[in-house]
Amino acid sequence: MTRPTVTLARAWKFPQPEVFALPSGMEVWAFDLPGQHIAALEVVMPTSLTAEPRAIEGVATVALHSVDEGTRSNPDGRISELLELQGASLHGSASQNHTLLGADAPVHRLPEVLKLLAEVLHEPAFAATDIEHHVEMQVAAFDSRIASPGWVAKQAMRQVLFGAQSRLGRPAAGTPETLNAIGQEDVVSWHRAHWGGSDATLVLAGDLAGQDLNSTLAPLDYWLGNSATAETEPGLLRPSQVVVVDMPDAVQATIHAGCLTVGRSHPDWAALKLAGHAMCGAFASRLNLELRERKGYTYGVGGGFSARNQGGQFSVGGSFRVDVAAEALTRLLRGLELSEPFTTDEVADAKRFLVGIAPLTNETASDIVRQAAVLASVGESASFVNDHFAALEQPDATGASAAFRTHIHRDNISVAISGPASVLVPQMQAAGLDPVIVS
Amino acid sequence: MAENRRLDYELVETTLENGLRVCVQPDPQAPAVAVNIWYEVGSFDEDPDRTGFAHLFEHLMFQGSQNVASGEHMSVVEANGGSVNATTSTDRTNYFETVPRGALELALWLEGDRMSSLAITEENFAAQREVVKEEKRQRYDNQPYGDLLELLVAQHFPATHPYGHLPIGSMAHLDDATLDDVQQFFHDWYRPSNARLVLCGPVEPDEAFDMVATHLGGIPALERPEHRETAAPGLPPQKTVTHGSVPHPLVYLSWATPPAADTDHLALDIALSILADGNTSRLHKSVVRSRRAAQEVHAASLPHLRSTSITTFMARPSDGISTEATAAVVLEELARFGEEGPTSEELERAIAQYERDWLLQLATVEGRADLINDAWLTHGTPSHVNRHPLEVAALDVDTIRDVVARNLLSEPHTLHYLPTTEISS
Repeated sequence: MTRPTVTLARAWKFPQPEVFALPSGMEVWAFDLPGQHIAALEVVMPTSLTAEPRAIEGVATVALHSVDEGTRSNPDGRISELLELQGASLHGSASQNHTLLGADAPVHRLPEVLKLLAEVLHEPAFAATDIEHHVEMQVAAFDSRIASPGWVAKQAMRQVLFGAQSRLGRPAAGTPETLNAIGQEDVVSWHRAHWGGSDATLVLAGDLAGQDLNSTLAPLDYWLGNSATAETEPGLLRPSQVVVVDMPDAVQATIHAGCLTVGRSHPDWAALKLAGHAMCGAFASRLNLELRERKGYTYGVGGGFSARNQGGQFSVGGSFRVDVAAEALTRLLRGLELSEPFTTDEVADAKRFLVGIAPLTNETASDIVRQAAVLASVGESASFVNDHFAALEQPDATGASAAFRTHIHRDNISVAISGPASVLVPQMQAAGLDPVIVS
Repeated sequence: MAENRRLDYELVETTLENGLRVCVQPDPQAPAVAVNIWYEVGSFDEDPDRTGFAHLFEHLMFQGSQNVASGEHMSVVEANGGSVNATTSTDRTNYFETVPRGALELALWLEGDRMSSLAITEENFAAQREVVKEEKRQRYDNQPYGDLLELLVAQHFPATHPYGHLPIGSMAHLDDATLDDVQQFFHDWYRPSNARLVLCGPVEPDEAFDMVATHLGGIPALERPEHRETAAPGLPPQKTVTHGSVPHPLVYLSWATPPAADTDHLALDIALSILADGNTSRLHKSVVRSRRAAQEVHAASLPHLRSTSITTFMARPSDGISTEATAAVVLEELARFGEEGPTSEELERAIAQYERDWLLQLATVEGRADLINDAWLTHGTPSHVNRHPLEVAALDVDTIRDVVARNLLSEPHTLHYLPTTEISS
């Protein structure tokens, strides 16, 4: 049986929302997606963690996690029970430059869900016992993270790229020292100062036919105040380093390599996305084929270019057998030198994947809302996705190779490793690297 | 959904002459077609002295066949804008790709080529054995509490029992395996009569059946392999205390509960949700908030097709409270629940949450195809997905109370996982 030919007819576009403002100033992006009976929404607040007082870092995370424990109207957990009765579930994240609070719920329950959500946003009770509980949960989560080699290597990389003096270089959810300093008043103050509807964006998607959005969203009209404009830190260019965090019991070396780069507004961005996919994004990427499929050193290598609020980041990593860690890292770094330029086939495959996978990664209302919320948080419009797909069609193999070589070179790549230092450091030194042990 | 619990997915089945069972769920609006094959082989079917084979195939099946180069299956699907992967459990191995409609025939051809002519060489077998070892290190050995599942399973089943080991298997067994062993395992289990293929997406059943017949119909028929008879029942309740380099003391209480297809299973799932899912749950309110015996309580189940499943509650004690004392409080609250049952509102909340999660899983063709195959293997018919919401809606508070009383009030297995510095109570 001969291999069937493939005919790809592509007409997929990222849906475009109706955009309007509520009386409070909040911007609404409403995506009408026929057939999506479970609606998704995200409230995007431009709240930067740089606004956290240094002594109580983690307060943004504690405020987010305890916000639905009770409201003044429905205290002691009742508000969460009422949301559950509507089939709604809440989720959220407090990351460096924005705070998200989201929900999934059946579309026809939206009017009731929005009333309850407005209550959560507007009048959380923040009972002292709840704050105490969530502080403890965050301390426990921290203790779990520092026992996890993957997180340890990633955090070491943040510290290398941004420095411990930068908020970006320190753990987003704080440390036990700063978390244990957080009291009820701190959380109440954080919420009062940094949760506001007037400069937030509400991204909403689902089968909205038949929804009177004016009336559904009316409960949010009274949620005022500014979330405080995101303060972004200047991207200080720090020297590249190789660091090792000693985890004596670890049975693998978890390695992250990367650097800060240009971001989504740079003319090379599309070429870099293609290059990153061919280098380490695809299963059949250069580095995964070599280090997993041919050498069997790892369960997998993954990475690529990702956009930050300002600029972007290249990262690649994996977990490797300890006795071949230096060999694996040497091969990885050599691969990044791109001595053989990307081939026409590699770049064509990357294009077909990155554009072709879009209908699958944007299949549900949650998918659309997640993507749109990221764009809203960085001040892009929803049309960015389609513009980006058009841009991805442009670069050829020469362009992708040139962009990669312009932005990635051996000198600017830093490496962070977690694992047994007593084995890894001599190995790395023998391979000509100069690792520094950090804690 | 609460107002209209009928699901009405069109499901059209056929069986090819070689025994391959096929089900098509046409969805003209979907953005792509999900191709989902479940081979009815998992770690249950392994010789307890030669474990890890079923999972090893999850890797080897991407190593090439007569007309497909090693790794090409993955790369060609990705290069056509598709997603592709595989998973292994105790009872089945699942291969799936979701591709644009224009690449459906290619996906079926890829599946047919590897079902009929998988090429396992010494070289790729050796490389994938190393990859599996790294997978085990990354997912188990290098994680805090990484041996937890293994310890839990060992409490319930002896190593000689088909459910007495994890799908990842023993690395020593894989080291001892020869190319002949591996080829024999493929021959025994990877045949049309032992597979179910679900297609979900913009394709008409007749056209889909023609394509499947073209690309998989020519594979020779072989008798459907028999699964072994389930051996002795599981082990009696036991207590295990283990120490490790872990951040917190944890206690796990677990029970042998009915197999996945048993009617108790769904009621137990809902009971677990009422008891331990989130901050509104019964045990969070009683054990965490009121009695301050734990900082968190969670529940989970490990369903088995051919023998008892495992249902487990995990609690992380509050500071200064032993795992023993925390366990006692959890058991008291379970006993209370087994007498009183849930309130009607607790049940209503749990059902509303369950229905939303269920609809979210069905919202993608990949998730839907997988649920259809799960229904087919577990309940004998793909159409169980349409019936399932009605079963959920029919649950009442008495059923939930009784299922807890029947399954979770006997003496549990207890597993105390303590930091190395912690003194066992």
